[in-house]
Amino acid sequence: MTNSHVNAVVIGAGAGGGPVAKELATNGLSVVLFERGGWAKYDDHNDDELISQRTTVLGNAFGPHRDKHWRIFVDHRSGKETLVYPHEGAYNNNAACVGSGTVSYGAMAWRFMPQDFRMKTIYGHVEGSTLEDWPISYEDLEPYYEKAEWEIGVSGQDPQNPFVPERKKHLPMPPFEFNREGKMLYEAAQRRGWHPFPIPMLRNSIPYNGRPACYRMRTCVSFACPVNAKCGTHNTVIPVALASGNCELRINCQVAEIMMNDQGKATGIKYFDENGKGQIQTADLVVVSGSATETARLLLNSKSKLFPNGAGNNFDWVGRNLQGHAYTGAVGLFDRDLYDDVGPGACVAISDFNHGNDGIIGGGMMANEFFRLPYLFTNQRPPGSPSWGKDHKDFHRQNYKRVMSVKGPCQEIPNFEARITVDPKVKDYWGLPVGKLMGTRHPADRKVCEFVADRCEEWLIEAGAYRVWKEIGGGAGLSGGQHQAGTCRMGNDKQTSVTNKLGQLHEIENVFVADGSLMVTNGGFNPALTIMALGFYVGDQIVKLWKGTHLKL
Amino acid sequence: MKQRKLYRIFLIAGIVIAGFFLISGSFYTYWSVASPQKTCLSCHEINPSFNTWEASAHRDISCFECHGTALSNGLHSLKEKSGMVFTHMKTDVASENLRMTELQLLQTMERCKNCHESEFTNWKSGGHSAGYADIFLHETHNKTEQLNGDCLRCHGMFYEKTTADLVDPISQQGPWKLIEPEKTRQPVIPCMACHQIHAPGETVRQPDFANPNNIFYARNLTKNSVGFYSRHEKKHFQLEQLPRPDMVLFGDTVQTPADPVYRLCVQCHAPSVWHEVGTSDDHTPVGVHQGISCNACHEPHSNNQRNSCDKCHSDVSKNCRLDVRTMNTTYANPASSNDIHFVGCVNCHPDQKKKSN
Amino acid sequence: MNITRRKFIQSLSLASGSLLLFPACGGSQKSVWRFLTTEEAETIIALAEQIIPGDQDPGATDAGVINFIDKQLVGFYSNFQETYRNGIAALNQYCHEKFSQPFEKLEWNRQTEVLKLMEKNSIEGEYWKENPASRFFRMIRDHSMQGFYGSPRHGGNRDYVSYKMIRIDFPHIIGQNRYASRCETLNAFAK
Repeated sequence: MTNSHVNAVVIGAGAGGGPVAKELATNGLSVVLFERGGWAKYDDHNDDELISQRTTVLGNAFGPHRDKHWRIFVDHRSGKETLVYPHEGAYNNNAACVGSGTVSYGAMAWRFMPQDFRMKTIYGHVEGSTLEDWPISYEDLEPYYEKAEWEIGVSGQDPQNPFVPERKKHLPMPPFEFNREGKMLYEAAQRRGWHPFPIPMLRNSIPYNGRPACYRMRTCVSFACPVNAKCGTHNTVIPVALASGNCELRINCQVAEIMMNDQGKATGIKYFDENGKGQIQTADLVVVSGSATETARLLLNSKSKLFPNGAGNNFDWVGRNLQGHAYTGAVGLFDRDLYDDVGPGACVAISDFNHGNDGIIGGGMMANEFFRLPYLFTNQRPPGSPSWGKDHKDFHRQNYKRVMSVKGPCQEIPNFEARITVDPKVKDYWGLPVGKLMGTRHPADRKVCEFVADRCEEWLIEAGAYRVWKEIGGGAGLSGGQHQAGTCRMGNDKQTSVTNKLGQLHEIENVFVADGSLMVTNGGFNPALTIMALGFYVGDQIVKLWKGTHLKL
Repeated sequence: MKQRKLYRIFLIAGIVIAGFFLISGSFYTYWSVASPQKTCLSCHEINPSFNTWEASAHRDISCFECHGTALSNGLHSLKEKSGMVFTHMKTDVASENLRMTELQLLQTMERCKNCHESEFTNWKSGGHSAGYADIFLHETHNKTEQLNGDCLRCHGMFYEKTTADLVDPISQQGPWKLIEPEKTRQPVIPCMACHQIHAPGETVRQPDFANPNNIFYARNLTKNSVGFYSRHEKKHFQLEQLPRPDMVLFGDTVQTPADPVYRLCVQCHAPSVWHEVGTSDDHTPVGVHQGISCNACHEPHSNNQRNSCDKCHSDVSKNCRLDVRTMNTTYANPASSNDIHFVGCVNCHPDQKKKSN
Repeated sequence: MNITRRKFIQSLSLASGSLLLFPACGGSQKSVWRFLTTEEAETIIALAEQIIPGDQDPGATDAGVINFIDKQLVGFYSNFQETYRNGIAALNQYCHEKFSQPFEKLEWNRQTEVLKLMEKNSIEGEYWKENPASRFFRMIRDHSMQGFYGSPRHGGNRDYVSYKMIRIDFPHIIGQNRYASRCETLNAFAK
């Protein structure tokens, strides 16, 4: 049995794919939205830390399952290749469910700053790096940020942050009240002359969009929301897309490849349905939004006569420039309880050090950390102190409520050799070549991290910590993680990028990318809102090009 | 010839029928009389339940007195039991993960009243006996509050699915209906919400009359069976295991009731995350009643509090010469200035307030 | 025969009824554990207790860390079965050669010394040349921590002892954002 032809196939129901599907479906295109996972809900994992998204030691509550998914990780020192599973750090997992990471994330809702789109213009060429400007500016993306903020839902109050990029419309919901450590850090930052403000959050601070207000559980980041107050694509744009009647969601389906004809156009996709049966879905256009790793892997696995190295990969840029965030910061010990159980923890931030730092390329936002649950906390201790035994237990007992951590996602400098490729020898459950992660971070990252860690340390000391230690990120190892980006870079030159400024593959006119892969640089912020904005942006570009039965080019 | 043949058929049929009844009857009788170790427990999966039961206050009550038998539970139960055997053969479920379904639990609960008639009647007459329809189809509530997955933490903690599987639509517009109509009258807070039937405990016994102290002061009344059933953990927490929250009022620490039963009540009658008295559904007493146990005023099963004031205040209080019984003390009425949970000295002595100002 | 009819029927039904039981469901067990042998379990109990010793609060033994590890070894950690079996054997071989006793029988301080050697990867033994002792130690340490600080549904953290130790409310006491206006009564008092 063949599936009836549709206008568009969207692969991946996450932060990017959700908005695209909604834009297309509500504008009259028939859409099939594919997702490799299923629906995730709080009842499936409850408050179980050991399978939650941050601590996947006993499995991944949000998928994917280790019986079907694995990758190859190449150690940058020895070149040794290891098979890695989704619950292991080196896999660089993103949630595999409807909504993907937007179900389990901490839900920070950052707009990138205008400078983040013009990194090369501002900082110049960096040796050994592929640092580049985006082909679109902040102003181009601004209306789509606004759309994401209102359609998915963001709470916050920008004017307190003098570095905030200009916006045309205020946020739909007021900010959250600070918890105890938030108040302390807010005052401390002000004393230092910095500009603290409440973090914009994709969480309902008041009832919004038919869902209740957040009541501030400690199990928030890395869990699904028990009251549905966290805003993701699974409870906003995807239901809208489905309600339009033009969109069908197919869950538990693994997409195998994009089918190409001899004219260099995509004709649809091959996929395995939830019973593992091979199927074909033909379509006028294909949108890939499977995350920086899986989008690149799918393009690379889609080999055809005109594209022997994978779809849109004739210049070998697919899968290159893999970036994440070099998380860096400091941890402080206090002489009294700070922990007040008002979740999820993170609530106050400063954006004073994202740009304009002497001798540093970029920088990063700094914010207080989400609550560390008891097992995750076993790694939170001063350097050199024992990791076991009586002393460790004493430390845990005495300080669980007395530790504060400030951290920031430092902007990484992209490099060509940090990449995802496919391994033709190693196949996954369905017989598809698995993704292979290799490369290193750019050495310049370390300097940014040291700078930001110093600021974090100052902040904690100002807040009254009697002992502070730094946790500096940006080591030589490969980056990626949940903030993975950059593998299908957008650009104006088809020899040095994968898509054009519309998110359309340079070489295949009816294949689009709509996720973090497009991002030329990853900003010094959590990327979820930017990926959503890119989803709305690409969706809108397709709608503008769409002429009823085909794309007008 | 024909008659003899017929006779023979009847005889054989009779023997078969009699044999059937004899075997099944003896099986049934055996099941009802023998020790659970030889019957229910021969299926090793319920070992943990057997062990807890054996150490519980209910250890003298046999399994089927509460759980019924395949026959007493009706035909559907036979089907259910054979289904369980089938599942058991097919999959390997760890015995600690075996639980009664909500329906089995409610059937079991109906048998509580065979012994605990007065508690059952009291419960039935109080707010805690609400059914699914009373809670989830309440118009005023549903129009002002958003139904969500966490409702089930306190209303329907044994329900196996989610709120979205229970009510349609999950919106503030309505009209709402229960997706499974049979849930309409089923109680959302059954006995087991606050009682662990297999909790360790002593069977009822008389005090040691040889020791007068033991008859009166030293006698320890344990409430082992009282505990909170956590939907998330799928287990009961005994009172002593439940946390006693740090409550505040305008930044000051509040002395919460020392009676551990308070910890049970506050699980659902919970404050907002800031643990401020009076927020969300909190009823922690402050003011003149600070530190007093919930059970000092509320009958535990009906939650009735009418006339409970008399226990401490004689009909006309010696102190203020006010008849406390005629005062509006309810929290349900926002106009009440004397909400019993928050009533302060100044409520009865407004003059004192003026003086201090 | 001095037997009442009632008793006779009862014993008859007992006899015939018992025939209908399921002999297949019984089964003898060698160890109380799912994967570990009794001896292996004792070594791991001692190891875990070193990692999280009991003091005014329960330690790994009282928290049932061994139950967590054993349960996971036939579950999510089944690929660690060999590592555990061989590692424990090598550790006990070392202890026998050095001290003529298995690990769990050593004095507390001596156990600590052995663990420190393992942590530094400087314990002697043929087995450890191919399989770094430090890696084995980190595995046991992490699994013990998971059993102690993780959710009890995985077999450890009996009675939520670690949550009590670090003083977090469990179950969480948290209400909805409802009836905030009831505070107004209280606010009126304050004024």
